[in-house]
Amino acid sequence: MAEIIMPKMGDAMTEGKVVRWYKKPGDAVKKGEPVLEIETDKVNLDLEAENDGTLSELSAKEGEMVPVGGRLALVLAEGEKEPEPARRATDKKDSIKHTTGEYGEAMEMKGPRVDRVAAPPAAANVVAMPAAGGRKRSSPLARKMAAEMGVSLDQVSGSGPGGRIVASDIKNVGRVLNPPGRAESPSHVEAKSIPVTAMRRTIAKRLSESIGPIPHFFLTADYDVTNLLAMRVQVNEALGVKLSLNDFIVRAAALALRHHPNVNASWSDDVITQHGDIHIGIAVSTPEGLITPVVRNADQKSVADIGADVRALAEKAKNRKLQPNEYQGSTFTISNLGAWGIEEFTAIINPPNVAILAVGAAEARPVVTAERQIVVRDRMKITMSCDHRVVDGAAGAEFLKTLRQYVEQPVRLLL
Amino acid sequence: MSEMSYRDAIRAAMMEEMDRDPNVLIMGEDIGIYEGTFRITAGMLKKYGPQRVIDTPIAEAGMVGTAVGMAMLGLRPIVEMMTVNFAIVAADQILNHAAKIRYFSGGQVDIPVVIRGPHGAGVQLSAQHSQSFESFYAHFPGIKVVAPGSPADAKGLLKTAIRGKDPVVFLESAALYGMKGEVPDDPNFTVPFGESRVAREGRDVTIVSWGRMLQMSLIVAEKLAKDENVEVEVIDLRCLRPLDMEPVYASISKTHRAVVVQEQWKPFGPGAEISASINEKMFDELDAPVARVTGEDVPMPYARNLELLATPHEEHVIAAVKRVMYRE
Repeated sequence: MAEIIMPKMGDAMTEGKVVRWYKKPGDAVKKGEPVLEIETDKVNLDLEAENDGTLSELSAKEGEMVPVGGRLALVLAEGEKEPEPARRATDKKDSIKHTTGEYGEAMEMKGPRVDRVAAPPAAANVVAMPAAGGRKRSSPLARKMAAEMGVSLDQVSGSGPGGRIVASDIKNVGRVLNPPGRAESPSHVEAKSIPVTAMRRTIAKRLSESIGPIPHFFLTADYDVTNLLAMRVQVNEALGVKLSLNDFIVRAAALALRHHPNVNASWSDDVITQHGDIHIGIAVSTPEGLITPVVRNADQKSVADIGADVRALAEKAKNRKLQPNEYQGSTFTISNLGAWGIEEFTAIINPPNVAILAVGAAEARPVVTAERQIVVRDRMKITMSCDHRVVDGAAGAEFLKTLRQYVEQPVRLLL
Repeated sequence: MSEMSYRDAIRAAMMEEMDRDPNVLIMGEDIGIYEGTFRITAGMLKKYGPQRVIDTPIAEAGMVGTAVGMAMLGLRPIVEMMTVNFAIVAADQILNHAAKIRYFSGGQVDIPVVIRGPHGAGVQLSAQHSQSFESFYAHFPGIKVVAPGSPADAKGLLKTAIRGKDPVVFLESAALYGMKGEVPDDPNFTVPFGESRVAREGRDVTIVSWGRMLQMSLIVAEKLAKDENVEVEVIDLRCLRPLDMEPVYASISKTHRAVVVQEQWKPFGPGAEISASINEKMFDELDAPVARVTGEDVPMPYARNLELLATPHEEHVIAAVKRVMYRE
């Protein structure tokens, strides 16, 4: 015969709640079988019968709070009768199994206190607590590497003696999580609160203004940039410069805008302004956030001049040295996430512009030619976001068609 | 540079220093007329005479005590122990006098005494004459403990010992006396104490050793490179006190695994000190527990086959390297 009592699951615990009974009075129970679930302020857990018998009495109802040490139930062995009133508890471990609760807390738990009138349970009856088998062995270096790579040891199986996780195991996991060619994950990411800076507030305000009142639509074009890439290599080699692909795209867009003054425009409730001058905002990522310094009169500048402008402005942006006249007054904006390996994306219009280009990565892709042959070409997707109040679908498509001439026949960029 | 045996390098160091400084002298059992049990002092009596090459009675405590007194008065005596095992008789003179006098005198009195002699196992000298004493002496502040693993280091370190101002226990590997190597001829060539060196570069495992075990570790490293594509970095400690662990730490930050190879018994040996220091300093760099390769925990047998079984051998080191690489 054994009494099941409310266990003390931590120094601060004074009482626990009966969540549900799995058994009714008179039910036969087997050793190790859950009898009821209790809830403490830290965990829910099942209390199990510690020997075979019959459940004679339930001392608490579901939902009832029971003080630590208070009787919950009695299990009578065969032939036993209802006993005298409850005896003092002794401090012995009993089988417990967690249904919920945090791993870290489980380690601190003591087993429930059970009055043993019958023979104590065999050692095998004690279910191993997660703490015992839960901690994985690992070498110090493996732990350090796992922390740096953001790998949880739970994800790793150890190849060393006794299942010890060693450096090579972490490396193998790291290879799966961070295949070669992709950026490594940050060494350690901590939770933190970041105050909203004035800059971030402005971004939020302006972009929600944008996506809210501005009726966006999106057009994606897939350009062949094989020639453009080749030209970039030639130019960089011949002139000893380091122009980026985006510098060429800025020039191409600026020249295309000359053909489409309706895209180089702004909306106000009573007038649409076509700016004429072509000032292209370049989205630049800084630690504080996005800013769009402006390449002025981009259509009148060579690719090299544009490249120099962009480099200088980006440097200033990263150092927070941009002057207002360097980031205000754009008439059109380009955002390029190709360097991050983004194939295509949609950008939010930067008001008061009425269009923005979202430039993806140039990638070698199989292409079906007019002759129905599959060839490998360098391709790049550009998505244009348009303010439908000003730029209609066809107008946007016309712009992208013009842009195609400059991108796919890059010699035009030199004229 | 000239090729020279470890034995001749030791003799050359002493003779160069005796030529350089008339205060340097040597005393010991059978070192004069008999020219030394291991023939280290061959020709020295003839060259320097009985005042500077002194045959002593079989009385090690008296020899060291005399040397300490000579050193206090300005001489630079070298005491040759027939084997370093016999210096146990003089332990009080070494540990309680030589090691303490500078401290007791408030730094006024230096004790430039070198106690040197053949040391360790491998030449069938049985249990009393084959022991290793690194941890015994290196435990005590006030003395320096040096264990050269090559002819050049034997010469350079011994010259530093003779020119120094502190008592030095100079542990010569008896089994290396015949080993030949390039030794600088420059009479001013010395090797400073407390500068461990990278004896062989490698990327996979760090072996820490000294003395005779250094030479074995280097052979093992070449075998592992050839047979297993394992590149072992071998660190030669040279001195047990002062002990320079920085090259060991630098190496482990690259290899993340270490094996200490020592000839003597495992309990409380230098490997324990080295391994503990690595744990204290490099815990987060370790991918495996530091392994120790040591002699068997028995008095050294005389029988050749048993002596071989009782001392570390190449296969022990290879097994330890594989163990820390999880390759066994």
